[in-house]
Amino acid sequence: MITMTPKERIAKLFTREPIDTMPVFSGQGMVTMDAIRKMGIRFPQVHTSAAYMAGSAMTTAELFGFDAAVVPYDMCTVPEALGRGASLYEQAEEVLYPTVPSKWQTLDEVEIDPDFMTKARMPVVDEAIRMLKASSEGRLALGTWVLGPFTMAGQLVELDVLLKGAKKHKEKLEGFLSQMTELVIEVARHYQDLGVDYLSIREMGSGTDIISPRMWRTFVMENLTKIFSSLYSPTILHICGATDMIIEMMSETGADALSVDQKNDVVESRKKLGDSVLILGNFNPYETLVEMDASQVEGVIKKCIDEGVDAVWPGCDIWPEARKENVEAFVRTVRDYGEKPSPAVGRIAARERFVS
Amino acid sequence: MAQGDLRDEFNKALSDAVVNMDEDAARETAQKVIEEGLSAYDAIMNGLAAGMEIVGELYDTHEYFVPELLLCADALYAGLDILKPHIKPEEVGTSAKGQVVIGTVQGDVHDIGKNIIKMMFEVAGFTVHDLGRDVPLEQFVEEQMKTDSDIVALSAMMTTTMMGMKKVVEMIKARNPHVAIMLGGAPVTKDVTELFGADGYADSAGNAVQEAIKMVSRLREMQGGTK
Repeated sequence: MITMTPKERIAKLFTREPIDTMPVFSGQGMVTMDAIRKMGIRFPQVHTSAAYMAGSAMTTAELFGFDAAVVPYDMCTVPEALGRGASLYEQAEEVLYPTVPSKWQTLDEVEIDPDFMTKARMPVVDEAIRMLKASSEGRLALGTWVLGPFTMAGQLVELDVLLKGAKKHKEKLEGFLSQMTELVIEVARHYQDLGVDYLSIREMGSGTDIISPRMWRTFVMENLTKIFSSLYSPTILHICGATDMIIEMMSETGADALSVDQKNDVVESRKKLGDSVLILGNFNPYETLVEMDASQVEGVIKKCIDEGVDAVWPGCDIWPEARKENVEAFVRTVRDYGEKPSPAVGRIAARERFVS
Repeated sequence: MAQGDLRDEFNKALSDAVVNMDEDAARETAQKVIEEGLSAYDAIMNGLAAGMEIVGELYDTHEYFVPELLLCADALYAGLDILKPHIKPEEVGTSAKGQVVIGTVQGDVHDIGKNIIKMMFEVAGFTVHDLGRDVPLEQFVEEQMKTDSDIVALSAMMTTTMMGMKKVVEMIKARNPHVAIMLGGAPVTKDVTELFGADGYADSAGNAVQEAIKMVSRLREMQGGTK
């Protein structure tokens, strides 16, 4: 029985109050080509126009009945505003997300323009958030995200310089990551001030398939803790890839919820963290929504819920070429199977639902 | 000291230099190998590459992570730069005279895994045509045809760029079905490799090391090299 608005449902999920059923949303890109084609535009256009960015997020949410709309879609808005450029692949036939064409080659070259928030496509994202806020009329939740300091650093400086620096120039790297932390806080606070309903910090480049748990504690944990203590709730920490060895440290950063991908053993994470921590995840969006037969999607989503997530989140962006029938199966299964309580979030009793 | 003992000592020192991320030690030992008139090829395969094999195992057991892999690779290159010009063509044999085209596909600028695989191909004596990163798909096909390379190695870190690999596989196989195609990157699985019609895969930097090592090991076996 659906009795709450999407926005109420998501707000209460993050405060761990009882809800009517599990919301269908994500902390990362959820735009689909179905929506983009419906608008009569091409994928590269959604990154450069506030109207197309907001429109495609809203159209996707409406097409599939999502509880939220999320912008932006690409990870180059800040690097571009800092002068590193953005390859938009405007002529590409296939879906290609923008990339950073010219990273700084050394930490010494890095120069942060104090006015970066007004440069390049930063105002486009601001405007898209304002437009979404206006068009959702307080019904849908509005989500956004900022890269975490370690991942942001990897978007600005060559990744091998960064990773080797962790072993060779510890203090220099720590100084740079502190600078990145301030920058992430500035962007994230700005989006919160624009009125987003939830905000993810995507520290995707810091899983233990890349750096060790010890390095994570040294270079990532403290900075994330500072970020979450500087932001309003609700916030989510998302890390994709291997997270089993760092899940407890992730929980200590102060984020309101943790988002993990399919590599995380949620049953084990739940045992480690207990039932009061919000865990979001953890299906493989490409495999489930693009490759799989639609009839198999239900099993994947049910497994996530059975293993103990509080909301079923894709482990990464929903791939824009997701198959319509698969996304529909994802939404349907979350709504139906998500009627029962999750470990951290109860459900409104049936009687109360009728009253409200 | 007998030359055999010296060879073993140097090979162990080179292997240790790679494992311990010690560029200076790799450089110094490589120089000694040349000064003593020992086989540069043997030192590369049974010293440096053997060390990288241990590094791959340390990565698998979560003792080493990507930063360590990169520093081990730097040590390997430090030794390789000195030894490579001294390889005698007759030592390499026919099996390692192959050529490989390598690159990260369009839309992807992650190249750590690609660079590690490239290094292992170089160790094995292949001529490597590195197209870099964010490479337009057609360029792989053109470079393979131009160089008549035996292997094309494609890397994609993200699911969003992995689809480009399928096109490259189709384009190359249509022209020359005998070209071996290796796919690498986090989203690549055995199923994807089969679905795309490619011949091999590596899903992480560590796995890339392992895959390349398998290839190098096969080469060493063929040539009767010992550790």
